[in-house]
Amino acid sequence: MKILIADDEEVSLRILQKILERNGYEVIAVRDGRKAAEHLCDPDGPRLALLDWVMPQLDGPSVCRTVRRKRSQRHVYLVLLTSKSAKEDIIEGLESGADEYLIKPFDPGELKARLRTGLRILELEDNLLEAREDMRYKATHDSLTALLNRGTILELLAAELNRERRDNHSIAIALGDLDHFKLVNDTYGHVVGDEVLAETGRRLLGSVRSYDFVGRYGGEEFLIVLNNCCSDTLMDRAEKIRTAICGSPFRTSQGPISVTVSLGILAGHPTDKRPLEEVLCEVDRALYAAKSAGRNRCCLAPSSQRNTPPET
Amino acid sequence: MNLEHSALEQYVDMAELLHRVEDDRELLMELLALFQEDFPRLRDALHSAVDSKDPIQVERTAHTLKGMLANLSVKHASRLAANVEIAARTGDARRILEAMAELDREEQGLVAAVESFIAGVEP
Repeated sequence: MKILIADDEEVSLRILQKILERNGYEVIAVRDGRKAAEHLCDPDGPRLALLDWVMPQLDGPSVCRTVRRKRSQRHVYLVLLTSKSAKEDIIEGLESGADEYLIKPFDPGELKARLRTGLRILELEDNLLEAREDMRYKATHDSLTALLNRGTILELLAAELNRERRDNHSIAIALGDLDHFKLVNDTYGHVVGDEVLAETGRRLLGSVRSYDFVGRYGGEEFLIVLNNCCSDTLMDRAEKIRTAICGSPFRTSQGPISVTVSLGILAGHPTDKRPLEEVLCEVDRALYAAKSAGRNRCCLAPSSQRNTPPET
Repeated sequence: MNLEHSALEQYVDMAELLHRVEDDRELLMELLALFQEDFPRLRDALHSAVDSKDPIQVERTAHTLKGMLANLSVKHASRLAANVEIAARTGDARRILEAMAELDREEQGLVAAVESFIAGVEP
């Protein structure tokens, strides 16, 4: 664990450094408050600090205030270590944002115990943030395919359509549906059906760029938002998605299975002011047309043929 | 290295200091050497602040000096430095000079004791 010590008095600095290093801390020692604030405001900086009160450039409480103002991502556990022992100093120090107040000269046992308290608090915060991130992921992703779930992909599509109109760039939408998927479930069972869906998720993600979005729209339906996609390359990109599915058989626990997908494609246009629902209806009709035309193909929605999106 | 029976014990609470450095005698010697190096600088800065009649700087330097002495468990001298700090906070020039005179008297013996202690234990 990295720890910052800030003190302009050499004896104090050296004792702290030695005791902390002996206890496994990675010590960063500075001799003024400004340098301390710089280290602590760095998102990759130490999250544990021992600060003297009286220091050149910036005093301990000012360092605490600066850190609390600037760094909000992760908590930094700040300990003021000072020979100022008056009640009003302690109150001022804690009010400035310090988590702990220790009076010099310190007892090494107490110092280490107080730092362990800080470590427990930081660990608790880490666990909470991890749990929050885990919940956020579960709330936005489909557990089977690891793709975005329906709610999230629709939210992103709405946001991208707005951005398209505002920033005058072009997006495209692909709605894909696995062909004869019911047959997979009926022939091989739902476990294999799930394996096919999971592999579809992986192949779809592998066929788009990092700034495109892929979500599970329904049972075996997938919605893909292609950002910065111009009319010249649209069908090539749609074909890349289609061939990612049909290009090679899916390896399942019941052996290889050939899978294909039909895709309805819609090229967005900045002048297209239709609500999301209408846009989805049109791409759904294009998907239906792809199915009617024999499946395992991409079909472009009529409005995409009328409106030519601008080059990007 | 006989720390417990030296002239330094007149000034330093050796038991407390050894506890603070977790019985690391090598570190203790290093700290005394740091004191030897840093103390004259702080003392000169303090005198210079007093001569320039700058109570804020006197308070600040006396505070640092007090901290250094306290960390080394030099308790009496640390209290005398604290007196200078308090006197500077009042801004009373006469009180500052009186507190300084007491600190000066104490520090002469302290510096000599540290010097002879280091000289005695160095090979």
